[in-house]
Amino acid sequence: MTVAVQTQTLSSCARAATAQEARYRIDRPIAPSRAGRVVALDEGAADVLSRTAQHDWANARFYVCEAGAGAAGDVVLRGIDGGPATLADELASASVVVMVATNDSGVGGAYALGKACWERGIQTAGLVLGDGTHAGTAAAAAVAALRPHARVLLPSADEADVVDLLSALRV
Amino acid sequence: MLRQDINELLTRTGPGTAMGELFRQYWMPACLAEELPEDGCPPIRLKLLSERLVAFRDSYGNYGLIDEFCAHRGASLWFGRNEDGGLRCPYHGWKYDTTGQCVEVPSEADNSSFAENVKLTSYPLVKIGDVLWTYMGDPATQPPLPEFEFALTPPEHHYTSKRWQQSNWLQAFEGGIDSSHVTFLHSGGLRSDPLFKGAKGNQYNLNDTKPFFEVADSDGGLFVGARRNAEEGSYYWRITPWVMPSFTMVPPRGDHPIHGHFWIPIDDENCWAYSFDYHPMRPLTEAERQAMVDGHGVHSKNIPGTYRPEANMDNDYLMNREKQRTGEWYSGVEGIAIQDSSLQESMGPIVDRTKERLVPADSGIIKARQKLYRAATALRDKGVTPPGVDPAHHHVRSAAVVLPQKEAFLAAARDDVRVRPGFPISSV
Ligand code: FES
Ligand SMILES: [Fe+2]
Repeated sequence: MTVAVQTQTLSSCARAATAQEARYRIDRPIAPSRAGRVVALDEGAADVLSRTAQHDWANARFYVCEAGAGAAGDVVLRGIDGGPATLADELASASVVVMVATNDSGVGGAYALGKACWERGIQTAGLVLGDGTHAGTAAAAAVAALRPHARVLLPSADEADVVDLLSALRV
Repeated sequence: MLRQDINELLTRTGPGTAMGELFRQYWMPACLAEELPEDGCPPIRLKLLSERLVAFRDSYGNYGLIDEFCAHRGASLWFGRNEDGGLRCPYHGWKYDTTGQCVEVPSEADNSSFAENVKLTSYPLVKIGDVLWTYMGDPATQPPLPEFEFALTPPEHHYTSKRWQQSNWLQAFEGGIDSSHVTFLHSGGLRSDPLFKGAKGNQYNLNDTKPFFEVADSDGGLFVGARRNAEEGSYYWRITPWVMPSFTMVPPRGDHPIHGHFWIPIDDENCWAYSFDYHPMRPLTEAERQAMVDGHGVHSKNIPGTYRPEANMDNDYLMNREKQRTGEWYSGVEGIAIQDSSLQESMGPIVDRTKERLVPADSGIIKARQKLYRAATALRDKGVTPPGVDPAHHHVRSAAVVLPQKEAFLAAARDDVRVRPGFPISSV
C-alpha cells in the first residue's frame, strides 16, 4: 500500500523546525482581560469570600448579595468589606460574574443577578460549596437555584475551587 | 492560566517526579495486544513515563515488560532473539525471562550462579481486551486489575486503536474533557461521520452552540455535563466521565458504539492516544468495524506498520483549505482524531499555560488540573492513594440524556453514568 505524503508543505513556516522553536511564544505581559465580580449569595458564602478577597487580584471585586426589601427580583449589593454598592454600577464594567452559594437562601439574588447579566451579555459562573450532587442537601438546593442563571456551574466546590477558578480566569 | 510551577508538576512524568509517581499508582495501557501477536514473536520497544523498555511474549505465551538495555554492557534488547522461554541479547548471549531475571550468561561456567544475581527492572504486563496493561509502581501497592467496561466486553463488541501524539499528555487529555470545542472543531463530523451521524441528539448539538456546563466531582475524577435546550421544558445533557489520571469517555450518539480514550505519557513531549469503541449490548457490525479500521470516528488512519497518523506534523496534517472554506471540515483537517492532534500539537511540545486566557467554559479543565495537583501532592507528601486506583471507580459510562429542566443532571442520571451489565447505554 502506498502512503500519500505531501512533500511540499502548504506554508513554509507552518511547522517549527525544532522543539525549541515550537515552544516559542511572544513574551509580552498579558493584560487582565476580565473584570470579575464575585458575589456571595448567602452568609456561608460571604464567609469564604471575605477570605478569598484577601488574595492579590487584578480587577476582581467581592460582594455580598442581600434580598431587597422591595419588589421581587430586587437585590441589594454591598462590598464584602461592608461598603455600599449598586448592582447597575458594578455590572457596568464587569465581564464575568461569579456567584457563590452554600444553600438556596440566595435564590432571589441569583435570579436578579442572572437576569441582569443576561441583559448585558455578561458571562456567569456559579460555585456551590459543599456536595450539591446528592439530592436533599442544602448544597443541592443551591445548585437548583443557580442552575438557570449560571453558564457554568460547579455543584461540588470548596474554597480552593473559588481561588483556582478566579486565578485561572485572570480576574 | 496556570502557575508555571504547577504546569511543571503536572506535565513531568519521569521517574521521581510527583506526576510520574501518580501515574505509577495505576494500571495503564502499555501497548496494544496486536503488537505482540503470537508466542515467540519479535519484541517491541516501548517508552513509557520516560522509561525505555522492551515488551515481549515468550515462547510459552508469557508477557514481559523489561528494561530495554542489557545488564552486561547496555545493548538494546530490541535486537534480542526471542528464544525458548526468554529474550537473548545478540551481543554476548545473555538471556532474560519475562520478569527480567537473567537466566543465562554463556561466558560463565555451566554451574555458575552469576546469572541469579542479575535482574533487569521489569513490570507486569497483562492482557485485558485489546490492550496489554502495565503497572509501573511499587509492587507492594499494586492494585487489582483494571475493570473498564470497554476492555471487559467480548472481543466482537469492541475495537481499540492507538496513535502517537507529538505533545505532552496533559494538553492531549484536556481535549478529552473539553466539551466546548466539539460544536466547532468537529462540527463537520456530526453530519457526515459514519460513526456519529443520524443521532437525534446531533440536532440539539447543532441547534444550540452555547451549552451550559456543570462540573461535578465523582469518586474517580469528574463528570462534566454539557446541557443544551431540547424540547420545551427539557434539556439535552451530554455527560463526559473522567477517571484519574487520564481515562475519558465521549458521550454517545444514538445507537452508535460508545467511545473514549486513554492518554499515556511516552515522555514529557510525546504521548499515546488510545481510542476505543464498544457496544455493551451487541457485536460491532462489519461496517462499523471497517469504519474504525479506516480511521473514522475517534480513530486515525495510521502509516501502515506504525502508529503514526498519515496526517501529521510533517505534512501539515494534509490541510485542505477548500474543505475548511466550505465547512465540511471546520479546521480544514480531516477526521476527529487528527482535528484534535493537529491543534494540540500546534500548541508546542508542552504548552505554556501561564499565557492562557481561560473562560468559564473551561471549568472542567480548571477543575481537572486542580484534582491532579491535589492528588499528586497528597501522594507525595502523605502517601494518599489517589482516586481512580480502586477498580470500582472504573465502572462509569458516558451518557446522552434528555431530562426535565428541573432535574440535577447527576441526581437524575446517576444510573446512566455507571456500568450496569445487561443495560444499554443511555443515549439519544
Ligand atoms: S479558540 Fe481555543 S485555542 Fe484558539
Ligand atoms: Fe476533540
